[in-house]
Amino acid sequence: MSLVGYAAALAVGFALAATAAGAAWADMPSDVRIDIRSDVVRRIRVHEESLKETGNRSSPAIPGLQADEVLANDLDASAVFTVSRGWTGVPPIDVQAVIGGEWNVSGGQIKLTGQIWDFPARHPILSREYRGPASDWRALVHRFADDVVLQFTGEPGVAGTRIAFVARQGTTKELYVMDADGARLEALTSDHSIALSPSWAPDGSLLLFTSYRSGHGPRIFVTPATHGPVYLVSGRPGNNTSASYSPDGREIACTLSQDGNSEIYVADARGSSLRRLTNNPGIDTSPVWSPTGREIAFTSDRSGSPQVYVMDRDGGNVRRLSYEVSYTDSPAWSPKGDQLAFVARTSDGFEIDVCKADGSQLRRVVSGGSNENPHWSPDGRHLIFASNRDGVFGVYVTDLDDRPPRRIPTGDLTASSPAWSPRLHEPRGVGSADRSP
Amino acid sequence: MNRLLRTIAPILALLGLIALAGCAHKAAPAPQPPTSSNPTPVPTPTPPTTTTTAPAPTPSTETATLHTEDLQPVFFDFDSATLNDQARSTLDQDAKTLRDHSAPKLVIEGHCDERGTAEYNQALGERRAQAARDYLIAAGVAAGRIEVISYGKERPFDSGHDESAWAKNRRAHFTIGS
Repeated sequence: MSLVGYAAALAVGFALAATAAGAAWADMPSDVRIDIRSDVVRRIRVHEESLKETGNRSSPAIPGLQADEVLANDLDASAVFTVSRGWTGVPPIDVQAVIGGEWNVSGGQIKLTGQIWDFPARHPILSREYRGPASDWRALVHRFADDVVLQFTGEPGVAGTRIAFVARQGTTKELYVMDADGARLEALTSDHSIALSPSWAPDGSLLLFTSYRSGHGPRIFVTPATHGPVYLVSGRPGNNTSASYSPDGREIACTLSQDGNSEIYVADARGSSLRRLTNNPGIDTSPVWSPTGREIAFTSDRSGSPQVYVMDRDGGNVRRLSYEVSYTDSPAWSPKGDQLAFVARTSDGFEIDVCKADGSQLRRVVSGGSNENPHWSPDGRHLIFASNRDGVFGVYVTDLDDRPPRRIPTGDLTASSPAWSPRLHEPRGVGSADRSP
Repeated sequence: MNRLLRTIAPILALLGLIALAGCAHKAAPAPQPPTSSNPTPVPTPTPPTTTTTAPAPTPSTETATLHTEDLQPVFFDFDSATLNDQARSTLDQDAKTLRDHSAPKLVIEGHCDERGTAEYNQALGERRAQAARDYLIAAGVAAGRIEVISYGKERPFDSGHDESAWAKNRRAHFTIGS
């Protein structure tokens, strides 16, 4: 063999060895990385091949085409990729990678081998096995999709997260949860009362919410995110509303009117040890924590109409977030810490605006119909919100780009007050390991 | 003749008593029967037993049941919890109704139209109910009877999406609790 041939063989050998050792992203071509802190997100074009079924082909446990759909949806929803599915004639010249893999079923357990190759050379970039019970096949696909995002951006995707929301049924409102793509939708409450304002614990295990289930005024409750009893957190006289956990999960910010006027308080995670943060005859409500836990954004009408303010966690240094809009409410602090989203009143209801934490670079990100309750995804790439843009209220996501928001299906439920979970631990029994290709 | 009367009179008196006792069965205490020697005058019925045959005197306090529909709601301007003239006049009437009757509990609900956020409206609704409550207390209604519950925009009275619907939903609403 020639010297060049030896060099080529060595290079391929190194690539294979590095992959087999699990350091799959060490030698990735640099032009497929993107800067996740860039304001302008240009999508990477990838091609998805249908996942092959190996082993017992007649097993009903193989999710087949459904899994291809779930994977394509996860990759597209990440806002990182543009996904093509079938070659028609010559493949697009700017395809950077091919995504594919295999399914294998054995005794109620399912194994997904997820693979990434660069294009057009088809050098393997990633090969990883995901195992779990057959009933959890969706979790395996979501894990793979999130690993594909990790591969190209340095940060995992959010396909494996959950959405909590409120569904109106006649005159009652119940708390629901579903996967980020709308699957596995289930009710968490059946109180035949009014539930509102769900808010996730930082580890994804609990949901705070407001409810009228006690028969008195609104009170704050907490329930496990996967079915369980409902516990009272605050049932003080007057309103108990708008609860949210601090980033370390040790404290809860909330709105109480026990002193005769809606003010912002911080309690411990059980709802005790209150300390009052605001002291103002106006309405102060909707507190949300910065990701550092050092600041709290909130809504106050102390100036005459509702506006978003920011204060330190001890209540000091109160400053109005923006003077450019006349009526703002519902602040949401990006997990990246650098931006806040909020609603601004329009003639149709509300639009959603985003600005930097110092109030600069204000821009409108969602308009049309009425759009309420913005919440950030845990990677700070997306905003989920409720909108009646298509007639009745439903759950929508915007990727903060120039595409129209997309709806997360909720069956025939009228949905509002959505909240995006943090990244969740792997379901029990689901594991992954790199594999030599 | 006198002897006849003397025989019949107690029987007549007894019959009169029975007629007055009327449909008041086991629950109502029966008036004391007179001794047979004296034709006792018919005792006035106290406490008033509800009979369908005998008329009872009009009660001065407390017996007429107060219903939710006896109290009129008050309405508010957009984004406001201030009582306007119409609201104050309505509350004057409601205060009188409440002073004239005892009711176990009065619940004042605060409501908003759909145009604010859910959380802000829970606070604004409470403001409206508090405004009505404070006015009623100043007008002599006992504070201890009153509970305030804000429903924000969660329980609209009119589910329409125009000003006529919104105006109906911006209210303090009174219900009689138990």
